[in-house]
Amino acid sequence: MCGINGIFSFHRASGEPKEVELISTRDAMRARGPDGAGSWWSSDRHCGLGHRRLSIIDLSDRASQPMTSDDGRLVIVFNGEIYNYPQLRVELEADGAHFRTTSDTEALLHLYSRDGANMVHRLRGMFAFAIWDEEQRGLFLARDPYGIKPLYTANDGWTFRFASQVKALLAGGQVSRDPEPAGIVGFHLFGSVPEPFTLYREIRALPAGHTQWIDLAGPREPKPFANLAEVLAKSAADSAAVVELPGRVRDGVLDSVQAHLLADVEVGVFLSAGVDSGALLGCMRDAGARDTRAITLAFEEFRGTSEDEAPLAARVCEHYGAHHVVRHLGREEFVEDLPAILEAMDQPSIDGINTWFVSKAAKEVGLKVAISGLGGDELLGGYPSFRDVPRWRRRFGAFAGMPGLGLLARELIGHVAPTFSRSRPKALGLLKYSSTWAGAYLLRRGLFLPDELSQVMDPEIAREGMRRLNPLERLGKILKPDPGSAVARVCALESAHYMRNQLLRDADWAGMAHSLEIRVPLVDFALLRALAPAIPSIVPGAGKAALAAAPAAPLPEKIVTRAKSGFGVPTGAWINAVSEQTSGRTGQQAEPKGVISRRWSQEVLKGAALTKRPFEVHA
Amino acid sequence: MRKPLSMLALVPDAYGGRGGIAQYNRDFLGAIAEMNIFSSITVLPRQTLDPPQPPQGVRQLRAHAGRFGYSVAALRAALVQPVDLVFCGHLFMAPLAVLIARLKGAKLIVQTHGIETWSRPSKPQRAAVEQADLVLSVSRHTRAAVLSWAAIAPERVLVVPNTVREMFTPGDGSAQRAVLGLGDKCVLLTVGRMHPGERYKGHDRVIAAIPQLVKRGHDICYLVVGEGDDRPRLEALAVQVGVSDRVKCLGATEPQTLSEIYRAADLFVMPSTGEGFGVTFLEAMASGTPALGLDVAGARDALGEGELGIAVSENEVPTAIARLLDEPKRNSGALAAATRARFGRETFAAGVSIVWSRLMEADESGRSTLAASLL
Repeated sequence: MCGINGIFSFHRASGEPKEVELISTRDAMRARGPDGAGSWWSSDRHCGLGHRRLSIIDLSDRASQPMTSDDGRLVIVFNGEIYNYPQLRVELEADGAHFRTTSDTEALLHLYSRDGANMVHRLRGMFAFAIWDEEQRGLFLARDPYGIKPLYTANDGWTFRFASQVKALLAGGQVSRDPEPAGIVGFHLFGSVPEPFTLYREIRALPAGHTQWIDLAGPREPKPFANLAEVLAKSAADSAAVVELPGRVRDGVLDSVQAHLLADVEVGVFLSAGVDSGALLGCMRDAGARDTRAITLAFEEFRGTSEDEAPLAARVCEHYGAHHVVRHLGREEFVEDLPAILEAMDQPSIDGINTWFVSKAAKEVGLKVAISGLGGDELLGGYPSFRDVPRWRRRFGAFAGMPGLGLLARELIGHVAPTFSRSRPKALGLLKYSSTWAGAYLLRRGLFLPDELSQVMDPEIAREGMRRLNPLERLGKILKPDPGSAVARVCALESAHYMRNQLLRDADWAGMAHSLEIRVPLVDFALLRALAPAIPSIVPGAGKAALAAAPAAPLPEKIVTRAKSGFGVPTGAWINAVSEQTSGRTGQQAEPKGVISRRWSQEVLKGAALTKRPFEVHA
Repeated sequence: MRKPLSMLALVPDAYGGRGGIAQYNRDFLGAIAEMNIFSSITVLPRQTLDPPQPPQGVRQLRAHAGRFGYSVAALRAALVQPVDLVFCGHLFMAPLAVLIARLKGAKLIVQTHGIETWSRPSKPQRAAVEQADLVLSVSRHTRAAVLSWAAIAPERVLVVPNTVREMFTPGDGSAQRAVLGLGDKCVLLTVGRMHPGERYKGHDRVIAAIPQLVKRGHDICYLVVGEGDDRPRLEALAVQVGVSDRVKCLGATEPQTLSEIYRAADLFVMPSTGEGFGVTFLEAMASGTPALGLDVAGARDALGEGELGIAVSENEVPTAIARLLDEPKRNSGALAAATRARFGRETFAAGVSIVWSRLMEADESGRSTLAASLL
């Protein structure tokens, strides 16, 4: 887990990049890698690479980056972990490779040397890396299939730049801050900025599961090498019976957890009273981890009430012989940390607060690596969307297909029941968006709907942003090829949209702000492949039940039952209080969560604007 | 077996045309012709002012100034011959170019220069750019402008900067100084049109700076090369600020004379806020004369981000001129060589060759038709 960056002046008309820019960008990512820093320049000084290191595998200086191959042909900067590195090493050594470190970084160099761009198909893990190929005078970039690790690029036509963070690219001082309407619209629609867009036109994310090649002829369009929908679609024909689900989950999750324990430092776990993290802790024990430290975030407001997760989490710890660390959080600390949270957010996001505090707690006890249950809901049908999206498609899809009906209903209800229209804006969208899976999903996940954008931003930017973002087509592409079943479609949409653009990105900035590597065994392509045949058969509750039963000692029944009813978190109320203060809105009646999120999104965007240029925000 | 390839170039002007766009189109088409890839290169211009002299391998059709007549001529040219590549030399013709490219199943390159891209174009023009296989821009600024309104993959918009002709080289400027009666004066030079619509070029700023330069002891003479309807206004301005005896408008000049004027000048200065690129900066520096411009728009590229020429903010212009005049004379040979290394013919040809190689690369839909035809 580290911060990487680079500059490549590929155009013959451009001069040499400046050392000061390389270092400014690199050191803007100090929190990502506090254990060391390095830089490297090609012999003609047209390509420079930078790296900030958080040492987790091979802690010695030999494993420092940028790392050069023995023959000097290849140089790499790498952020992430390759969990199948031991197997790859054995295979590469058998093919004659000579290793001088025990780091996974060196395995990437040997693998590229042997397989070239095809190397990406052999990797299991989370990764974003760049390899300079001196022989071909080009740069090879790759990002993992789920997009766990970030990688942003900027191409001004002469010079190509990349970094692990948007803010780091800006810190170099040479990348344009001109706004990207598609990124701004995307944030209003979803509460996070959908890749490949960012808030800045010149900066783009290398999409998850893509590689990119840049040489003297300039950057090529990113090429996909992994596609979630394809994995699900291929398995659709070969679907497994529902009875196979528990076995597949048990084997797959244990295998993934085992892989994710690879480290030369202690690996802890974020533990709530939910099924996902509890089952992972159980599987960690099955995989040989002992005395694991489990961090639970508890809230002062809930102390001693049935909403408090800490007592149940303590039972899980006892059950699996883990060492429990409970970190209490109060409103005061939340308010105190808020400016730092907004500063650490690489791009605006309406979530990530809990991850910030649990990461902070993990760092306080000296952990560098923590396992998280992120991804369980997407993989195993845990979200209400798995129920709602197919239901809306069934009930309203046929009506929504009729041209003009949605608009008519919207106008009619707006006149007849204006209060309903204001408090339930999405209900009006059912007849407009439910005709496609992408539309129904947009409705489910949407913060604001496209028709409402002009209320929160400049209408002209909204129009241009919608044209460039084209959200329905973009979501539709996630379902190509068709995953073949309702569950698999929602799984693909939740994984490739919400989880990728919101949850994983939040886990990255919130963890990295505390120099903590968050590992996500339930976000693993090998696990997806193993479960894919059984995913269509998942009915509500079955996925989580299978996960709870995955450890050799299954989660106690009480945990599973209690987890189903869910837990409250007061952060929503705190957020609301803060946004009420800043917006001057106080003492009004309780509002639905969605309305609070909408107001919070405006606060976040203003917060993002404090350190950048102001975006068009209409309060 | 190679299939002979044909290219149709729709341009405002090229051979027999004047100005920067015509020059760029000639440079581009010439570089393509030298690559010996196309058995036929047909150029259809909107206008020719001088007798056209296309190089070997390039055929230029008769110009059609009217939009309708031009469109008919373009469609006719496309129908009577095979077309594998359409080169569209100006945004205004892009809708016609995309139509022809679709009709013929040909690849499409749209060339963008500068000011035409700085405000959002018409929908058909935008749609045409978004459908192009490659869009070329003369500068990073123009490229950024295109990407601000076109929803197109940034990787498909390449920068191929203007180049500088071989005739501009360092040399002795004393003969031209004698002809113009410049004596020991500090000679400032601007080369550019004086058009009321192009006041961004910055002649006004130079004229306004002259009194303070004189006050600081610089015996200034300001040469202005170029023609245009704004000339009387600029001359009146010179009278108004009391420097009419120091401003000499030379009008249009022959290329050979222009080359000598560049050598005769102490400093080329064009504080323009709106250059798509600014090829005259290159001509000055290739002649060994230091160049000063603003650190904005395409001029940043032409000045090599301040590594070749001097790029300053608008309010720094007078002090920057004074400083440069006070400095010891720079090594003109080194400046010319550095300019050629980044913007010379060889670099330009390499850029055009890259365009060709990018066009040949298989795109998302598989192997490109051009690549297939070469196998």
